[in-house]
Amino acid sequence: MLTLKIWIVQALFIFFTTESVGELLDPCGYIKPESPIVQLGSNFTAVCVLKEKCMDYFHVNANYIFWKTNHVTIPKEQYTIINKTASSVTFTDISLLNIQLTCNIRTFGQIDQNVYGIRIISGLPPEKPTNLSCIVNEGKKMMCQWDPGRETYLETNFTLKSEWATEKFADCKTKRDTPTSCTVDYSPVYFVNIEVWVEAENALGKVTSDHINFDPVDKVKPSPPHNLSVSNSEELSSILKLTWINSSIQGFIGLKYNIQYRTRDASTWSQIPPEDTASTRYSFTVQDLKPFTEYVFRIRCMKEDGKGFWSDWSEEASGITYEDRPSKAPSFWYKIEPSHTHGYRSVQLIWKTLPPFEANGKILDYEVTLTRWKSRLQNYTVNDTKWTVNITNDRYIATLTARNLVGKSNAAVLTIPAYDFQGNLAESKCYLITVTPVYADGPGSTESIKAYLKQAPPSKGPTVRTKKVGKNEAVLEWDQLPVDVQNGFIRNYTIFYRTIIGNETAVNVDSSHTEYTLSSLTSDTLYMVRMAAYTDEGGKDGPEFTFTTPKFAQGEIEAIVVPVCLAFLLTTLLGVLFCFNKRDLIKKHIWPNVPDPSKSHIAQWSPHTPPRHNFNSKDQMYSDGNFTDVSVVEIEAANDKKPFPEDLKSLDLFKKEKISTEGHSSGIGGSSCMSSSRPSISSSDENESAQNTSGTVQYSTVVHSGYRHQVPSVQVFSRSESTQPLLDSEERPEDLQLVDNIDSSVGNLPRQQYFKQNCSQHETSPDISHFERSKQVSSVNEEDFVRLKQQISDISQPYGSGQMKMFQEISVADAFGPRTEGQVERFETVGMEAAIDEGMPKSYLPQTVRRGGYMPQ
Amino acid sequence: MKVLAAGVVPLLLVLHWKHGAGSPLPITPVNATCATRHPCHSNLMNQIRNQLAQLNGSANALFILYYTAQGEPFPNNLDKLCGPNVTDFPPFHANSTEKTRLVELYRIIAYLGASLGNITRDQKVLNPNALSLHSKLNATADIMRGLLSNVLCRLCSKYHVAHVDVAYGPDTSGKDVFQKKKLGCQLLGKYKQVIAVVAQAF
Repeated sequence: MLTLKIWIVQALFIFFTTESVGELLDPCGYIKPESPIVQLGSNFTAVCVLKEKCMDYFHVNANYIFWKTNHVTIPKEQYTIINKTASSVTFTDISLLNIQLTCNIRTFGQIDQNVYGIRIISGLPPEKPTNLSCIVNEGKKMMCQWDPGRETYLETNFTLKSEWATEKFADCKTKRDTPTSCTVDYSPVYFVNIEVWVEAENALGKVTSDHINFDPVDKVKPSPPHNLSVSNSEELSSILKLTWINSSIQGFIGLKYNIQYRTRDASTWSQIPPEDTASTRYSFTVQDLKPFTEYVFRIRCMKEDGKGFWSDWSEEASGITYEDRPSKAPSFWYKIEPSHTHGYRSVQLIWKTLPPFEANGKILDYEVTLTRWKSRLQNYTVNDTKWTVNITNDRYIATLTARNLVGKSNAAVLTIPAYDFQGNLAESKCYLITVTPVYADGPGSTESIKAYLKQAPPSKGPTVRTKKVGKNEAVLEWDQLPVDVQNGFIRNYTIFYRTIIGNETAVNVDSSHTEYTLSSLTSDTLYMVRMAAYTDEGGKDGPEFTFTTPKFAQGEIEAIVVPVCLAFLLTTLLGVLFCFNKRDLIKKHIWPNVPDPSKSHIAQWSPHTPPRHNFNSKDQMYSDGNFTDVSVVEIEAANDKKPFPEDLKSLDLFKKEKISTEGHSSGIGGSSCMSSSRPSISSSDENESAQNTSGTVQYSTVVHSGYRHQVPSVQVFSRSESTQPLLDSEERPEDLQLVDNIDSSVGNLPRQQYFKQNCSQHETSPDISHFERSKQVSSVNEEDFVRLKQQISDISQPYGSGQMKMFQEISVADAFGPRTEGQVERFETVGMEAAIDEGMPKSYLPQTVRRGGYMPQ
Repeated sequence: MKVLAAGVVPLLLVLHWKHGAGSPLPITPVNATCATRHPCHSNLMNQIRNQLAQLNGSANALFILYYTAQGEPFPNNLDKLCGPNVTDFPPFHANSTEKTRLVELYRIIAYLGASLGNITRDQKVLNPNALSLHSKLNATADIMRGLLSNVLCRLCSKYHVAHVDVAYGPDTSGKDVFQKKKLGCQLLGKYKQVIAVVAQAF
């Protein structure tokens, strides 16, 4: 009971005490939210609510509330009076990480009283972890690391999660000091794919990284090979063999290696080509090493397929390659010390030890030989690096070799000059003076210089020659003077050149040159050139050399000739093309077709041989293709109307005259051909005269004129006005038959074709001018042409231009002696040939050609 | 009716045929869902071969390490004490189909895994200082765990086998020290013998 009372008393005491303390500590209001964590840059609103009791006590309401952050009053613009008891404050774009916010009231108009206070913590949600990667150190557990992203300013927990396809592993929580990596608790199991990812979480959010899935064996970092050892080979001084023990992981994965080595005192490593160590192995022989050199090696390994990480480097191991014979002879020199013994001197030979890379081993001793002029050599073995010997004043040759365990070096040779070597220096001779410094540890680098006791002008000048000669320039070259003739240092050269009549020109050239180009030379000119070399003491001319510059520069002739030839060729080509295109026209004017008199048939012209008349077959008449320029009278009247009686008469008379003209010939028949077309013209003339003076015949006389201004040497036959009757023609029925045949043939189509074919070759107007020019030949001819013109006018009216051609041919054959003579000559042959085969044409064609073809006999 | 049965039954067989149907399946697919936490890797068989090689490569060393750690009379009486006389060991048929071999492999590894667990537990008590042996036993058990995962993944992803009935060896917890050691040695001897055959079969 007592105990109960005590308990009640205690309880009441505590209750009241607590109540009274609560009264004392009870704030006048409170702020919501209580412990805010907001994101940086966001807005935040806090509300302060006053308690009624407090409001009554202090006689305040929400209007009396003012806010402070970190003891600084917030402007009232940020306040909002919600109601009588509550006031809020709003912050936009919070940038401070830690804000102390207090709600205050002003009591009694002057006393500021704190109502409540909170702390605003701001920060950022975690970013997605990136670059998650894991590594499995052999014999250790898997460790993963990642990039956590930006600073969140909040406590952020990273959890590494991992699982197989069939089971999940325990999470790996990061430690506070290493928030970006985590080492899992379980041992890695190779050859099972594991999926790993990271979760980052803080008060503002949670985010997960990308998942990575891998086989831990592909992330393994093996332990480095251990127990690396190095051994050399007595057979080969350039190799060292490495052996090692692989890590235990080699039991189920293949390995590849990196092997590096360096000499003991080197700082950089050389590496064995990786392709030589690309598979699991336990030893490797390194080649191409220097003899008797200490090398340091190290090795590392990784999974053979390159997945995973290189192991750390193994502990270094070193070894020395075996010795080889010294690769170089030691440098040595001598000191000559005066000797008290006459005829002898004391010579001390000194050399230095070979550096290790040349000694290739431990030098056991040195071998020295001394050879006096024409005497046997003497061998000495020396363990030191100097050796003193008394020798005579003669010249000696000393050799030195170094020897190690394997062999001897090559011999170094030194000449010890004779004692009396000094003085005797000659002038104008070049001496090479060499100075070798001797230091305590050996000889230094030697320096040499050429010198003359006294210089002199060269004893011989340089010989100049041309290397290349152009139109306006020439390249000269010469050889350096031999030392023997220089007599001093050649300082410069001078080139003198001149023409035969010109002044000499001098050009100075530096002594280092052996070539010079003379420019501005005159073409096609003989030049004489010589050269002098100068020392400090003077110069000496060399022999003179002559050369001639060419008239044309190289390629100049070609540049002229080639275009000219091309132009000529082009012109010729164009001319040929033109001639080819205009060959008919040219042929007509230059080489008209001339009947071949040799083929004419004289017998047909004989009065005793009745001519055959065959106008029906043109092909037969002019089978010769060359017979193209035959002029014939085209009488187409037969197509439309009967020929005039006058025409028939004229044809008749024509035949008569033909026969009569034969009378003028001198009996070989050719003269009858010479009457050519003239009788036909005459016969046409007779058409008129026949009407008036029947029984009279006008004889034709060939007017002699040259072809193309040539003067013929024969008589000219001119028209005759003789009225002597042609008895033959009256008595010959053949002529009448001819007329009949003509009459009959006029109406035949083949004959018309024949005429047209011939006319077509003369459709050129110049023939008309020829026709007119014929008036100038003679008055007799003028008369003929008067008649001819009349006939042209009579015939051409109804028959057109084709008949004009016919008359033109007639005029050409008859009247234009100078112009048509050659043409007639050609017709002569062709016409005769046709006359042999044919009848009527044979009698006609020779008339056309006869005048020019046969000379008077 | 017979005609109907003769036509329908083959049709149903055809419609419901799938890989593995029609062949005896020594497993118990008791409503098991064949779901994995994430898709199985495509290189599973190669990984299984590597795991078997890994186990085969370390089995003899484990055996030696074990009987050496047990002390006499084991090292000198291997034939008597460590002969592979395990009567209830799951069978393995090297010439069977891949699916069958995988199922049998799963049973063997499950059996061995459980037995290794017993041995490890016993050895930590019987030979608490044989750390190398403990480490080797743990490593082998880990490899077997990974092998089981791969085999299950393969069975599940390719053969849709989600569950395999397994048998375990005798519990050694109630046996005396020598029997524990002897059973462990026999088991590791058997393991060394079997794993060579299994590794050769895959």
